[in-house]
Amino acid sequence: MNTLFPKSAVALGVLGVALASCQPDLDAPSTSRGSADFTRYISVGNSLTAGYGDNGLYLEGQQNSYPNILAQQFKTVGGGDFTQPLFDQANQQNGSGYLKLTGFDAAGSPVTTTETSNRAIRQATPLLFTRYDSPINNLGVPGIRLSDIQTPGYGSQLGNPYFERITPVASALQTYFQRVKAEAATATFFTTWLGNNDVLGYATAGGASTTTTITRPDTFALKSNRIINVLTANGAKGLVATIPDVTNIPFFTTVGPLLKATLQAKSVPGLVIQTGANPGGVTSGNRKQIATSDIRDAVGGRQLFTLTASPFVGLIGTPTGRPWRFVYAQSGQPAAGFRTFLTAYAIDTTQAFGVSLGNPFPSAFVLDDAEQTQVSTATNAYNATLRSQATAKNLAIFDANAFFTSLAANGFAINAVANTTSFISGNLFSLDGVHPTPRGYAILANEMISAINAKYGASIQPVNPNSYRGVSFP
Amino acid sequence: MNVKHLLLASGALLTSTAASAGGFQVTLAGQKNNGMGGVGVGLSLDQAAMFYNPGALAMVRERGVQVGVNATMARSAFRAEYGGSQRELRNSTVTPFNLYAGIGPSEGKFRAGIAVYTPFGSKLQYATGWEGRYSLTDITLESIFVQPTVSYAITEGVSIGAGLVVLAYGSVNLQRDVPVQDAQGNIGHVELDGKAQNKLGYNIGLYLKPSEVLSIGLSYRSRINAHVKSNKGDVKLSNIPASLASRFTATNFDVTLPLPGTATLGVGVRPNDKLTLGLDVNFTEWHKYQQLNFTFDGVVGGNNTSNSRREYKDAFTFRLGGQYQVSDAFTVRAGGSYDLSPVKEGYVTPETPDADRVGATLGASYKFSEHFGVDISAQFIDLKKRSQTQQELIANNTTDRVAGTYKTRIVIPGIGLNYTF
Repeated sequence: MNTLFPKSAVALGVLGVALASCQPDLDAPSTSRGSADFTRYISVGNSLTAGYGDNGLYLEGQQNSYPNILAQQFKTVGGGDFTQPLFDQANQQNGSGYLKLTGFDAAGSPVTTTETSNRAIRQATPLLFTRYDSPINNLGVPGIRLSDIQTPGYGSQLGNPYFERITPVASALQTYFQRVKAEAATATFFTTWLGNNDVLGYATAGGASTTTTITRPDTFALKSNRIINVLTANGAKGLVATIPDVTNIPFFTTVGPLLKATLQAKSVPGLVIQTGANPGGVTSGNRKQIATSDIRDAVGGRQLFTLTASPFVGLIGTPTGRPWRFVYAQSGQPAAGFRTFLTAYAIDTTQAFGVSLGNPFPSAFVLDDAEQTQVSTATNAYNATLRSQATAKNLAIFDANAFFTSLAANGFAINAVANTTSFISGNLFSLDGVHPTPRGYAILANEMISAINAKYGASIQPVNPNSYRGVSFP
Repeated sequence: MNVKHLLLASGALLTSTAASAGGFQVTLAGQKNNGMGGVGVGLSLDQAAMFYNPGALAMVRERGVQVGVNATMARSAFRAEYGGSQRELRNSTVTPFNLYAGIGPSEGKFRAGIAVYTPFGSKLQYATGWEGRYSLTDITLESIFVQPTVSYAITEGVSIGAGLVVLAYGSVNLQRDVPVQDAQGNIGHVELDGKAQNKLGYNIGLYLKPSEVLSIGLSYRSRINAHVKSNKGDVKLSNIPASLASRFTATNFDVTLPLPGTATLGVGVRPNDKLTLGLDVNFTEWHKYQQLNFTFDGVVGGNNTSNSRREYKDAFTFRLGGQYQVSDAFTVRAGGSYDLSPVKEGYVTPETPDADRVGATLGASYKFSEHFGVDISAQFIDLKKRSQTQQELIANNTTDRVAGTYKTRIVIPGIGLNYTF
């Protein structure tokens, strides 16, 4: 008996061995740099380019900046090393300090704290960070406006501390434009994303700042033309990003809908707000009535409330001066001037806050419809300029405005995760409600790769955005 | 070294497993049939007729007991559209089995029997940290059907049969990562583990044998909706950050998964005493699988339901196979199959990374004595390479799965023992 049986068994064993070689293999997608050359890539821009997030610049954000992600993908098609002015891992990794989520209050609102350990602060007043003197590729400077690029002293100790730390000591008055010109001399590829702050500062201040105004479109066009000219002077190819409409970011879309729901539940028909930055009494034109239904939420409405308004919306209807003390403190003026400030704006803190002409909801917390018109007019003008200049130089264009609009409308589902622009839960925006999370930056990098591939006939692979963190929860 | 050891030894080399037929069907019910491309509805080979065509049972000459086991071993490769390197599966092997006992008077027109088989199942364990982790990390789907069967030969050329199909055991274990993370980078995970209620269905068959050369079979097995009731379905959450506890409160789930009905037309041809050929055309009512909806007693990520579009379409499978009796004791078999996927373009999920399949099979039987024999079979199944893009997923509203390219091959050796009387 059993003559065949062992043979069958052997056959099964052979089958097992055969299976070991049956592992299918999928060819890696082909990669190519097309007509672009990534030997030396430099990135020009502001906080978005630096990797800023959670209201701060710190090592983790720098490491996950979109230029760093791009450079890592460029390396697969012959790109060179990419150096960033990183904060020291050892004991200064928290850079400027940043917001951390500590939990949620009883109402479900996020509670944050500022990380103040291991910062890279070398001087408190005026604020200065630890210097970074080695050569760099990432020229992102948080806070810089296009209108600042030719301001001498912007990189001095009285200027922008983020620019100061990378500006050579020997030429402390070097402008951002001069620095870019020097770096562009050896660059083969660049990305430039400047101009966000030329409108963002005005918007996040609720249109209430007398100092942070919208850059004039003609100034914008002039400066933008200069920076694009100098970047392309030596034949480098590159990408130009447009300016997103800031009214879709969580900084403006989080507080309003909650406030609207609360007011509707209490049948409050509307609010009295302050608008603009001009002093004056109740009849001076800086007071404005808005209907509750006109507060923007998913259903409709126009008026936007800033994230900074969050601590004060609960005070609506009560006589209080707290919001005004906060607004005044933000201005940096001596505390003794508070009375004069209230008089100048005819504020009567004994009246019901937010619902009376004498104690309106401060302008600093509201980007109203008129202010939004100014923002969108400027944004559209800037983008027309950027597109025409990029087209004239035959550069790739990342239309960040169109992309952020789509993001706000549809979210961004990728690899089975439904990321959205919702504050905290959406995973794309960091705790400041303005800057992306590392995942948000990774998605931006992918979009830029797509624009570069299309323009230069390259085939550079995107990254998996979900490998980059969204919001960290305690 | 015995067979068991060899199987274990080879199993150690081998990796993971997938359903052996379209969707999550497993068509490995008879070791002889396995060697012949899975044909059987138009044939009356052995007791496995209870599964393939209960109408043919009355025409099976012998009565007997038979048991078979298969080792389903799949190798898969995946590349995400937004990802990096190739992903492969983690090691595992599943062993679908079958057991039949047929009785009846030796010369009578009646046959009765009981069948135990596993018509649906799947097990996949994806690579740690793979791009589709938020859709699925692991799945185990098991079902055991028990089927008392009767068959009656109305004439020498016409027989009918029916079985009461009992879903005696059904279990599901689905695991995926949850896209929330803490400051240390730990990522949330959810495991849904449940047992299905016992359910009843039926199968019926008609077998016609107009001549010694030709036989025709028709069979149908009804759909059973496998239902995991809330008290049998556990939600196990891990690595959820404490501050999100209120958004992850579920402890139980309820889900219904249709195990679709199948209708098959089979033809058997015996040109001579030694050679038997079979052709089966199988139709599976996959369109019943439209959605996979979980209902939770609390919330998972703030939602008390999870709804995922499946929208399967009905699918055909074509099978062709034959056996040749080399000697009184020794029979060899070969066959092939073409199995159309029920999964539409842009609907492929990691739990069923399905595609059209081409199968090639080999088999052999040896009778040690008049009563005792062994059947061995081997199947090689090649799933076509299948890609879907994120754009397609967005267009289909199926972004709860991952875009990329799948390629799978499956090898299924099997062995069966039979005792006839």
